This record gives sequence, structure tokens and C-alpha cells, in this order.
Amino acid sequence: MRPGLGYFLFFTPALVLFLIFFVIPLGMGVYYSMTNWNGYSLTYQFVGLDNYVKILQDSRFMKATGFTLYYTVLVVVLRLAIALVLALLLNGNFAFRSLIRSVYFFPAVLSMITVGLIFNEIYYAVVPSIGKALGIEALSKNILGNAQTAIYGIVFTNVWQGVAVPMVIFLAGLTSVPKDLLEAATIDGASPMQRFFSVTLPFLIPVLMVNAVLAIKGGLTVFDYIVALTDGGPGRATESMGYLIYRQGMQENKFGYATAESIYVFGLILIISLIQIRLLSRKEAGQL
Amino acid sequence: MSYRPLPLILRYAVLVVGMLFILVPMYVTITVALKTPAESAQHFFSLPSRLYLGNFEEVIREKRFFTYLTNSVYITCVSVLLMLIVIPMAAFAISRNYHKRHYRLLYALILSSIFVPFQTIMLPIFRHLFNLHLLNQHGLILMHLMLALSEGVFLCVGFLKNIPLELDEAAKIDGCGIGQLFVRIIYPLMRPIIVTLLILNALWVWNDFLLPLVVLNRHPDYWTLPLFIYNFKSEYSFDYNLAFAGFFITMLPIILLYGFLQRHIIAGLTEGAFK
Repeated sequence: MRPGLGYFLFFTPALVLFLIFFVIPLGMGVYYSMTNWNGYSLTYQFVGLDNYVKILQDSRFMKATGFTLYYTVLVVVLRLAIALVLALLLNGNFAFRSLIRSVYFFPAVLSMITVGLIFNEIYYAVVPSIGKALGIEALSKNILGNAQTAIYGIVFTNVWQGVAVPMVIFLAGLTSVPKDLLEAATIDGASPMQRFFSVTLPFLIPVLMVNAVLAIKGGLTVFDYIVALTDGGPGRATESMGYLIYRQGMQENKFGYATAESIYVFGLILIISLIQIRLLSRKEAGQL
Repeated sequence: MSYRPLPLILRYAVLVVGMLFILVPMYVTITVALKTPAESAQHFFSLPSRLYLGNFEEVIREKRFFTYLTNSVYITCVSVLLMLIVIPMAAFAISRNYHKRHYRLLYALILSSIFVPFQTIMLPIFRHLFNLHLLNQHGLILMHLMLALSEGVFLCVGFLKNIPLELDEAAKIDGCGIGQLFVRIIYPLMRPIIVTLLILNALWVWNDFLLPLVVLNRHPDYWTLPLFIYNFKSEYSFDYNLAFAGFFITMLPIILLYGFLQRHIIAGLTEGAFK
């Protein structure tokens, strides 16, 4: 047997899977996005780019896009900032370190839907009961019941669970900071702040980028927390793009239209990813 | 060398406050699950006066908890097992032929799917699996496998770059075929990255919600634990005790596993990828 063929056989299972369950559905999606299919009837019409034009004038989709972007900014900033602070606090040797680290990582092993449902009950029943007992007006109502504040209830839940993974990645990154450099900086009289910004942080740029990419992706595609906490409500105040696609495609009989929305979301994520890659390669080039 | 950005006392203080934030929701979950409705109506935060297991009994007996647990275990085990075979194989083929253009092209093709959010293929996949009669556990397993490909192959190819090609040459001179080379030499050397893949994907598949929702929601017999707990919402409505018992028992398998393996889980997540 030719060695070239042998290697190709190793690659075949992955390739077949990729073609059947990725390339074909993607092609189907592009096709459906140009139809007015409702998802179940036997007939439908080809409508060209009609859906794409309609979406641009659809205030519900635009609102969901705005919500998702704002949500993503909040979640990314909070997750990364808190994760970095925790990683710095957990770095080094001190008593109970691995126990504390285990507690902090624990939320990451739970499912988002369960965590979302738990916080839903907590916001609904537990927090208001504390608020009333303490006489704090702001806490005595369900934060999810108000269109203005519901987003912060979802963000809090997401951050509660989502700090763990970037924290562990930051901790792994911190091991790459050379100790002699830190010592040298200390001897030269650098303050802790100076040491962090001029010695530690530059070594953390690669892991910071990894964390940013993961967190941005998580924010832009948020679905589980929305379903568990608000179901898009109150009104339509907390509909994310991912939630809207599911809702319209699977429940509101707008299969073709929702597929076109999903292709806009793909475009948006592609643009953001390309910007990230650009920044990443520039940063790396600057480093080396 | 110690960091000393803060005195040790302050560091512990901040860490303990943070831990309270994490532990309080868990404390509420466990205690409410162990109380009767009458008792929890009085106060949420008190410890239960006695261990009341009626809520758990109801979840297990009347809500067919073990069916969903079995489904989750089956889907997770089979999905991850297949991933740990298919992904390293593909990565092996790519990394050993990286000098050839068409392999780099195939690699780029598979990596490009990272940019496509799941929601973009979600609706067509529902239709596609329906046509293929795969709106069941097997369709779900195949989809998990596909969705794990790009990230997994990326991690494995990166890892394999550090395993020198001279090793392959030496093995071939000794009469090793490609199959033997992979099974006997390369795969064992990939252990750290395989552990990373195992943990990353087992957690993902076990906890995944949207994909099972799309593929399995119409067949209650096939539900996984996340689907069960989601659909449970309509049953407990205002019975907090039953709700929290459901949450707790759904989390229990992973809590136990984490309790025994936490060190390996945390270390394994990053070890393969960062070395």
C-alpha cells in the first residue's frame, strides 16, 4: 500500500463527518435563507434576497443585535477582569491554595441551563426575601421582571459561572512569567503595580487573547442563560441573536427567514474574528 | 518567590468573599431541596430541621430521573470515545503531511468552521437529521463529534509539531507501518493532549443544551439531563423545593466526579494545550 493512501485513510473519518454534517448543512442553510419556507409545509417559494433585505428593516432583529453586542461587552470585560484578579491572587504558594482554586473552578463543571434555572429561582424568591428583610428597595423586586434591569441579572449569572475557565487559563499563563525577571524588577525597586504592568502583563498577552476570543464567542452566541432566565422577556427586552434564531426558526414558523438571520450572525462573527486575528498577529509580531 | 502585591491577610479576605459568592447559591440549592414546602416558606437560609428526602424521591421515582441519567452517560461516553479516536487520527495525517499543499488546504478547511457559529447550521441540521432519520441519540453523537473536530484537530496538530518526524523515520526503518506507528508510538506520546480533549469535550457534551434541544426535544425517551431539567420547569412551577431537588440531583453526578478528580480536571484542561 502506498504511504500516501495510508495517511489519507487516517483522515477519512473526519473528512466524511465534516462534509456530511457541516458542509451540506451550511449549503442547505444558504439555500433555505433564500426561501419563505415555514419549516414544515410541503411547498415554499424561492424569494431570492428578500429575507436579507427585510431583516435590515426588522426592528426586532436589530434590537436583538444591539442587546447581544452590549451583553457581550459587559460579560467579556467582567469575566476577564475578575478572572485576571483571581488568577493573580491565586498565584504562588500559600495555605489552602488548591482547595480555594477548586472552589473557584467548580461553577465551570455545571451546565449553563441548570445554573440559569437556579439563579432564576434565586432572583425570583431568595433575593427579594433578603431585600425585604433588610429593607433595601432595589433588592426586594425580581431583577428579571424589569426590562431595564433583566440584562444585569443574566450578566451576573454568566459571570458567576464564566470566570472559572479564563481564571485557570490565566493561571497557566502566569507560570510562563520568568521569576528572575520579577526578582530583578523587585531589586530595581519596581512597585507591585509596575511589576505587573511591565513584567507580568506582556507575558500574559497570548493567554489574554485566547480568553478574549473564547469569551467573545460565548457572549455573541448566548442562548442557554436567556432560555433559563427570561425566555427573551420581559416583552422582548432580552432576546439575543441566538435566541431569536431558535425562536423564529423552531417556534414561530419562520424557518427561511431565521436561517437568513443566522447567516447575518455568521457574517458579524466572521468580521469580529478577523479583527481579533489581525490584532493577535500584530501583537505577536510586536513581541518577537 | 511570593508575589506580595497585597498582604496575605487581605488576599485571603478577598478570596473568601469571592468563595461566598460561589457557595451561597449552592448552599441555597441543597438546603431548599432538603426542606418541606412549609419549612422553606418560613426562611430560605436556615438549615433544614431534619433531612427530608421526599423531594428527591419524587424526582427519581415519578420523573424518571434514571432514564435521563443513562441517556446522558451513554451519549457522553460514546461521543467522547469516538472523538478520542477520530481527532488524533486526522491530526496525525495532517501533521505528518504538512509539507503537502492539499493537506494544508484540508486543515484550513476544517479550521475555518471555527468561525461558523452553531446557530448558523442549527436550523438546517434539524432538517438534515430529520431527512436522514437521525433525530435521535446517534444523530446527536455524530453532531457532537463533528463540532469537536476543528478545535480538537487544531490542538492535536499543535501538539504533534513537537513530536519530531525523525521518530517516524526510525520506526519505519524498523519495519513499522503507518498504522503501527500511530497506535504504538504516536498515540501514546499524545497522552497529555488526549487528556485535555477528554476533559474539555466530556464536560461540553455532558452539559450541552442547545444541540440536544434541537435534536432530541420531541422524544422524551431520549432526553439528556440538561433537557430533563429544562422541561422540568413546567412541572415544578411554584414548588421551589421540588425545583431545587431537581437541580441538585441533576448536578450530583458531576459534583461527585469533580470531588474525586478536581485536581486532574483543572490541570488536564490546560496541560496539553500549553506545553
